[in-house]
Amino acid sequence: MFKKMTVSGLLLALSILIVLSGCGGAKGADETGNTGSSSGGSGSDRVTLKMMHLWPAGSSAQQNKLVTQIIDQYQKDHPNVTIKTEIMDNEQYKNKLKVLSASNELPDVGITWAAGFLEPYVKGNLFAPLDDILGGAQLKDKFVPGTAEAYAINGKTYALPIELNITPIYYNKDLFAKHNLQIPTTYEQFKQVVKTLSEAGVEPIALGNKDRWTGSLWYMYLADRIAGSDTLKKAMDGSGSFEDPTLIRAASEVQSLVDMNAFNKGFNGLSNDEGKSEFMNGKAAMYLMGTWEIPNFTTNPDIPQEFKDKVGFFKFPTVDGGKGSGDSWVGGPGVGLFVAENSKVKEEAKKFVEYFVAKWGEQSVKDAGVIPATKVDTANMKLPQMYVDLLGELNKASNITLFADVQLKPDAAQTHLDMIQALFGKAVTPEEFAKKHQAAVQAGK
Amino acid sequence: MSNKGVIALYVLPSLLLLLSIVYIPIVLTGYYGLNKWDGISPMSFIGFDNYKTLVQDQAFWQSAYHSLLLAVFSAISLIGYLAIALVLSGKIKGANLLRKIYLIPMLLSSVAIAQLWIKIYHPSNGVLNTFLNSIGISDPPSWLADPKVVLFSLFVPIVWQYAGFYILIYYAGLKNIPETLTEAARIDGANSWQIAMRIKLPLVTEIIKVTVVLSVVGSLKYFDLIYVMTDGGPNGASEVMASYMYHKAFRSFDFGYGSAIGFFLLLICLLATYLIRKATATKDTVQFH
Amino acid sequence: MKTEVIPAYPLGAPGAARQAGRRAGMGLMYLALILVAVLQILPLIWLMLFSLKNNQEVLGAPPFSIPTNPHWENYVNVWESGNIGVYFLNSVWITAGAVILTVLLASFVTYAVTRMKWRARSFVLGLFMVGLMIPVHSTLIPLFSTFQKLHLIDNPSSLILSYTAFNLPTTIMILLGFYYALPREVEEAAIMDGCSVNRMFLRIILPMTSSVLATTGIINMIYNWNEFIFVNTFISSDVYKTLTVGVQNFIGQYTTDWGAIGATLMISILPILLAFLIMSERIVEGISAGSVKG
Repeated sequence: MFKKMTVSGLLLALSILIVLSGCGGAKGADETGNTGSSSGGSGSDRVTLKMMHLWPAGSSAQQNKLVTQIIDQYQKDHPNVTIKTEIMDNEQYKNKLKVLSASNELPDVGITWAAGFLEPYVKGNLFAPLDDILGGAQLKDKFVPGTAEAYAINGKTYALPIELNITPIYYNKDLFAKHNLQIPTTYEQFKQVVKTLSEAGVEPIALGNKDRWTGSLWYMYLADRIAGSDTLKKAMDGSGSFEDPTLIRAASEVQSLVDMNAFNKGFNGLSNDEGKSEFMNGKAAMYLMGTWEIPNFTTNPDIPQEFKDKVGFFKFPTVDGGKGSGDSWVGGPGVGLFVAENSKVKEEAKKFVEYFVAKWGEQSVKDAGVIPATKVDTANMKLPQMYVDLLGELNKASNITLFADVQLKPDAAQTHLDMIQALFGKAVTPEEFAKKHQAAVQAGK
Repeated sequence: MSNKGVIALYVLPSLLLLLSIVYIPIVLTGYYGLNKWDGISPMSFIGFDNYKTLVQDQAFWQSAYHSLLLAVFSAISLIGYLAIALVLSGKIKGANLLRKIYLIPMLLSSVAIAQLWIKIYHPSNGVLNTFLNSIGISDPPSWLADPKVVLFSLFVPIVWQYAGFYILIYYAGLKNIPETLTEAARIDGANSWQIAMRIKLPLVTEIIKVTVVLSVVGSLKYFDLIYVMTDGGPNGASEVMASYMYHKAFRSFDFGYGSAIGFFLLLICLLATYLIRKATATKDTVQFH
Repeated sequence: MKTEVIPAYPLGAPGAARQAGRRAGMGLMYLALILVAVLQILPLIWLMLFSLKNNQEVLGAPPFSIPTNPHWENYVNVWESGNIGVYFLNSVWITAGAVILTVLLASFVTYAVTRMKWRARSFVLGLFMVGLMIPVHSTLIPLFSTFQKLHLIDNPSSLILSYTAFNLPTTIMILLGFYYALPREVEEAAIMDGCSVNRMFLRIILPMTSSVLATTGIINMIYNWNEFIFVNTFISSDVYKTLTVGVQNFIGQYTTDWGAIGATLMISILPILLAFLIMSERIVEGISAGSVKG
């Protein structure tokens, strides 16, 4: 028994070594390695599509159900197609995507983010251009202007967005009423609101800045309102400068909010979830966050109705003398679908993506509370008022400034996020903050 | 069977497994480190450029310093674990039950431990600050947000997480000492302290050396709780080498540079191990008689 | 330190005083020991409470607060959404397989290194020690492409092989500390009796080291049971995933169901707690309990 075991162990290890002996570092150019296990994309052959997404049934039940519905329907309409899904959470999804890319093993269809996140994958020739389905019968002119463009590089579109979010400031009507506060429309009024609340011992703003993109929203809005969206956009793409005085002023306004105790204690060590709970339990009066939170203030059965009734929203106030309009929003398309360039079933995958995006657009608001990037016809939908109002705002929007961490290239995005934490923690001056950004953007990574 | 055959039989399976699964990544990491590579586009060979950048990278050296602090902190805490193991392995009532209870936290996954300590450190309703408030400290620090304290706030749960691991090893080592030895000493009139210092400790020196290496190397490449609890923040105040490497490779898409950090980390671990072995080298090993 | 000679059974007045002092000392020590024990058991209680709360209570209320109406449905949720049952079985057999393989292989190596004389042994030992030093995130991309070439992607054996390979170094090092201190007399006697090396290893060495085998077994088991980075990277089919992945089921793009995560963690700690209690019974007086006689 013992000898047998040793011998088989030895054999196992030996065989590993033999197979491995041909194993080099770089991946061979001729390797076709792809996960679609079918024999090809033509007509009536059996086709297996592999899809990776990030809506687990446990936490994103509605999205998960919607995806399943769409897939079931598609499989019914196309009996030769089988769609296999793999589901991970956000963080693990991103890691796995990276590992799979390095081995050229992407799934046929998957989730990606826009602009800066997308770029390395496009440069590495991993994502297929989707312009043909973007201009095709099902999707032509269906997208909200500016959304599909966020996934375009050098004139080609490499993914199709399925989400669109803007970021209002949610507020607690009760707390505002109790302290005789009105919705601020100018930044001066806003600071007065902060001051009143802070002096009354109420946390003015809920923030969990361990995640860093949360604090970034505040800087982006101030930059947009003070410097104007054009200056900000140019600084981001490297044609302008972060050291523009108006952008430095935006950074110093962030620090003056910190000095006014505008944010809950210890925000730099709290996750977004923990920061949010300050708002959800009525301790903090305001919370700047994406429209993906609307279900929590309208339909989510786990949140007490009496709290949901208290929540309203307002637009980020304008700054006197600033160049930005009050109808400009920080936000943008969230996730989109890509098709792998070397998928063996690329055409089938594209067809599925086209179908998916169209169906998702029709059903996502109603079924999952997600605002799609395609135009929504709310006429015959019964939606909670907050959805109707925010969709109205979205239609009126003069500009959407894309989330900084999505807009910037990966390395610059990391610098931005780290600097945000430093700015909020007062570990850097606004000037240093600007200088570090400038250097990172110029490095072009 | 010949002697060589026996040795091959005992060592080769493990060695082959090690070479094929552990050494391939080591060699490839070293190779990636010599390239400019985002993990997606083809690599381009750039020689030692990544290492040249690394040597001048302040953020890296700051993270290396943090890792080193953790290593020192962990190594010192071994004394405490050894003391606990000595007490538990002595002839006291209930030692068996106590030992089991002591080791329970070690079963928790890092995810659970991180959540527990995040709750303990919460700035307003955390266990720690609630307690500090109740004894009259009105403005306790925000443990995970204050760059001055965050590193030590993380060290405590890390060291606590591994307590069970080391206590278990020490305990098993101490229990392995034949009772006849300690009994004989006791009859000769030695007290418990003397038995511990003169008989038990010398017999577990090899085990102590091993644990020193394990804790130092483990600390130098430590990642888990830091990643979940602060993600290296705020602004790098709790960044360690492994988290820095992860951020570069997986977040900044700079896999070449990340690999260079990984390989450099390996070299630092090797150096540390060499120094420890050298400092603790003894001619003869002590055996039970 | 001065060595005092203490009579084995002190009698009389001075002895009694000393005994009283000793009692007080023992009392204090027990107090401290029990205090630590309470602290160590609190995390389990916290986790239990955590698993019965909803998001509002997890994030808003103090960690040790008792949930006003316990959310047992968290457990129902966990059980119904996702493949907890399948994950559970996978965790069990993958963990068990890797633990047995690791402990056995490590014992072979340690035995050969400490009990046989050959030239390359310190070099080989060094090779194993280097294995401790590579950060896990450096290994993902190389290992993925390795397993891909071996057609072991989405195959549980990739997990068993990597767990074993990465745990061998630690396991060997711990074993080493014990083997060095093991008396050789028994083996020498056995060799005189004409016992073969293999027989001696199986019949004498393994039983003699049973307490350290249990120790390393426990350590390996905990590591394998809680590992998730390799599972995520190498496995894509739901049927081969393990319990640690179950937690992810409750982390969403923008929302996380903390109560359900607590319930998953609670479910996943129970089997390992049981295994730990059983295995730790093996860590007893090593040699005296070992079958030196046999």
